Amino acid sequence: MKTSNQLLLLGMLSALSPAAAADGTIPAGVDISKWKCESCKFEKGTSGTVDVGAGSVSDKSAEFGQYNGLYEKGGYFIGDADVRSRGEDGAYWNLNASNLGLDTRSVDAEGGKQGSYKLRLKYDETPHRIWDGAQTPFSGAGGASLTLPAGFAAGTTGAMPLAGAMQSVDLYTQRNQLGVGASWVRSKEWEYGINVRHETREGNILRTGGAFFVNTAQLVDPVDYVTDQVDASASYSGKKFQLKLAYYGSKFSNGNHSLTWQDPYTPVNGETMGQLALPPDNQFHQIQASGGYQFGDKTRGSADIAFGRMTQNDNFLPSTLNATLAVPGLPGSSLNARAATLDANLKLSSAVTDKLRLSAAYVYSDRDNQTSQAAYPSVATDMFVGTARTNLPYSYTQDKLKLSADYRASARLRGSVGADFDTHKRSYQDVDKTSEDTLWGKLSSRVTDKIDLTLKLAQGERRFSGTYQVVPEITPPENPLLRRFNMANRTRETAGLRADFALMENVNFGLGVDSSDDKYSDSSIGLTSARDLSYNGDLTVAFSARTSMHLFANRQEIKSKQAGSQAFSSPDWFGETKDTIDFFGLGLKYVAIPDKLDIGADYGYTASRSEISVNNGASDPSFPNITTKLNSVKLYATYRMKENMSLLAGYWYERYDTRDWMSEGVGPATIPNVLTMGLQSPQYKVNVVRLALRYKF
Amino acid sequence: MTIKKLLLAALLSGFAFGAAAADKPAEKAAEPAPPPSMGTEYTDAGADTCLMCHIEGGDFPVFAIFKTKHANRADKRTPFAGLQCEACHGPGKKHADAGGGPDGINSFESTSFLTPQQRNKFCLECHENSTRIGWHASTHDANNVACSDCHKIHAERDPVLATVTQPEVCYKCHRKERADFAKPSVHPVRFGKMSCSDCHSPHGSTSTGMLVKPTVNQTCYTCHAEKRGPFLWEHAPVAEDCTLCHHPHGSVNQARLKKNPPLLCQQCHSVAGHPAVAYTPAGLPGGSGAGQAFLLAGSCLNCHSQIHGSNHPSGAKLMR
Repeated sequence: MKTSNQLLLLGMLSALSPAAAADGTIPAGVDISKWKCESCKFEKGTSGTVDVGAGSVSDKSAEFGQYNGLYEKGGYFIGDADVRSRGEDGAYWNLNASNLGLDTRSVDAEGGKQGSYKLRLKYDETPHRIWDGAQTPFSGAGGASLTLPAGFAAGTTGAMPLAGAMQSVDLYTQRNQLGVGASWVRSKEWEYGINVRHETREGNILRTGGAFFVNTAQLVDPVDYVTDQVDASASYSGKKFQLKLAYYGSKFSNGNHSLTWQDPYTPVNGETMGQLALPPDNQFHQIQASGGYQFGDKTRGSADIAFGRMTQNDNFLPSTLNATLAVPGLPGSSLNARAATLDANLKLSSAVTDKLRLSAAYVYSDRDNQTSQAAYPSVATDMFVGTARTNLPYSYTQDKLKLSADYRASARLRGSVGADFDTHKRSYQDVDKTSEDTLWGKLSSRVTDKIDLTLKLAQGERRFSGTYQVVPEITPPENPLLRRFNMANRTRETAGLRADFALMENVNFGLGVDSSDDKYSDSSIGLTSARDLSYNGDLTVAFSARTSMHLFANRQEIKSKQAGSQAFSSPDWFGETKDTIDFFGLGLKYVAIPDKLDIGADYGYTASRSEISVNNGASDPSFPNITTKLNSVKLYATYRMKENMSLLAGYWYERYDTRDWMSEGVGPATIPNVLTMGLQSPQYKVNVVRLALRYKF
Repeated sequence: MTIKKLLLAALLSGFAFGAAAADKPAEKAAEPAPPPSMGTEYTDAGADTCLMCHIEGGDFPVFAIFKTKHANRADKRTPFAGLQCEACHGPGKKHADAGGGPDGINSFESTSFLTPQQRNKFCLECHENSTRIGWHASTHDANNVACSDCHKIHAERDPVLATVTQPEVCYKCHRKERADFAKPSVHPVRFGKMSCSDCHSPHGSTSTGMLVKPTVNQTCYTCHAEKRGPFLWEHAPVAEDCTLCHHPHGSVNQARLKKNPPLLCQQCHSVAGHPAVAYTPAGLPGGSGAGQAFLLAGSCLNCHSQIHGSNHPSGAKLMR
């Protein structure tokens, strides 16, 4: 009886065909001529909000302002707008603008005639502040050539005349993106679209090292990138069949192709300058076809195929700037690199019965690096001519088959099982092929009307085919006992549990546990085990219609073990890492005066502790903990002064403390053979206040 | 595996109870009420019928729909160009005659008598195109996610479609990711400059993790095209999969690395000489041992700074 009712329901759902009704085809027997929609408040004219105000930042901090634009001390302008207009015959436009007073500003405008065409203009700025006031003795930071004062070079950093030579430089990048787009609804079935984006990225970033044999220096890398991207598509939407044809193009250009720097150390064997290759210009073009077909009411299939081509043909830099070395000629003036990509998938899903759904998906992904191989004369850090090296154009192929079944035993109980078969093939690597089979199962139960439980378990076994052998082209060779973790035999077990409780009508409580265990039992050198375990809980309470609270907490532990061999034989040292991360958040909202005053507060706390030990049996294996602690408090209020005027106020306090032995106390001259920029663990305490008027129209 | 056994043992009774409890209400009722079902008749006056009860400021406010694209009558594809509210919610007479309630109508609520797939069918009738061609059998579909779990249709601006507000919608289920984006080294999601859908395609895709592009790397290259190459000297794991070394959501380590060097690098490099050496705390400033250059500042990257690949003829060791 129950089943027949459900079948009847499905039948009715199929027959309803809301799309047919919406596009003007009204179901037979339905007369909507009297459906005047007189109570409908269709929107006309222009409306929106504009916010204007000012804010103030108490302290300068690149870390605090890394992506939010608030990295400078002092005041800033607040300007936001959300405006919309609705005209006749579907004409409309929307304008959203935010953070106009900061270099995180964004403007997004869209307009057109709904159902006919759409135009879009988007401008967005994203800063990434890395470090203010980095210290470097090099002049020319931000350019392609870094020079030192005369007589600077010395045997060690301690002997260099740093005091009089150091200059301050800010490390940052600024992305500005301008996008324009258009789409045209040609008919009920066909729609065309194009989207073009032009992005510039400028600034200075840390180049971790420019080395001369055992001596090295941190450098400032110039960033002058331009990326142009195009998406164009034609989409067909039929009742049973849908199709999308698309093109994606991406072109990257770098304003600098090399970074040249003067050796700060006493020259060896004639070298005085080094040169690094900066990211080369490159392009990627891809055409894609996606289609879906509805085989009756119960079965649907879809397929997707994309052909792409990456190319890169920047002129080679010389093998060395050391004119005293006799270096054989290069095999060509540029690489003429090209890699073809082919990505395809096929999916089929069927509601075999009203309770049972079956799905199958096959995914194929191939990156075929067709770049020619050649022997390249090699110069070791501009000092010595070495043996020629042959480039290894890596190719990758992945085949993946996923099968699953979902069974709804009752309205309260549902179970799923599945199997994934994942194969990777690689060229010029330690193994040619790995295969991973994963079985998984999931149970979801509404135990009572107030308790939901979900459990998911999975186990995967990955094995490589043939023998694991070091890549002969790579010299000197790796330890034959090494098993690289992305190709090593591995057992992966994952588990996840979620429990949600509706404790009372207005109180919801949830608990979750997720665990992932990797065992590399056949690996004696390299990664041998990894584990990720996290617990989380959340609580939402609506105390009343005016007061609500949400709370969430999460603890995560990430552990791993690895082994190495100084003797280049069996393992003789062991490394362990354990990261513990605690996260807690609390939010409160309160309608203090209905229709007049809303207030709220958010508190966030994140603390992490990284414990690292390296045990070779010779000394204390434990490093000092690397720690971070972030405390953040935000208070906000909206006071409605008049129907169309509100006052917005906000206060934000944030404090960040870190300890990291990798950088702590490491000044430019701390390491005799590494000239650093002295970047330290960031710390800050910053207060931000903001006040703005919102005008609504 | 202990934790899984514990979880399994603790829960089996709960699931069993869930299964057993499924039919209990029906067993207890002397005359079982008919199960809820969709109505078959439309209302007499369309939206005007609905809006008699669904008034502004009421318990079930709906008027924000008139600020959305669904209520643009000039666009003949939209619900309000046709069957109005009932285009999406189904024939409403039964619901209206009963004075409201969950029976007879697609409420799109999680408490609806309709399954998520049945609720979604109303949306997919119009929207199963473009990026949603592969919605079926996607991870979200397989996990019984309903369109209305993420989308707020009766809202002037759907929060899941705005960069700043979207993550909170995703975090409702993806709680671990909420914690990830609170870590020290993250993509700028918590700063409101990036949203989940910049990388992920929630309506289904061909790639692992429902990415917007077919592979992890193709997705990363949309913002990091400088790392695309192909380079003369490629670093094999870099060309294969950025996530072998980086955690895209967040990490406690610099540059979203899964682990700090040198241990990160020594998972895969054991060449005789300095790559194979155990770098212990003796190499810290003030320590007794050597090896500071391999341990501090950029560690391995102090020299091998071209870790993403090099196009320099002498860059085989990723030092030029």
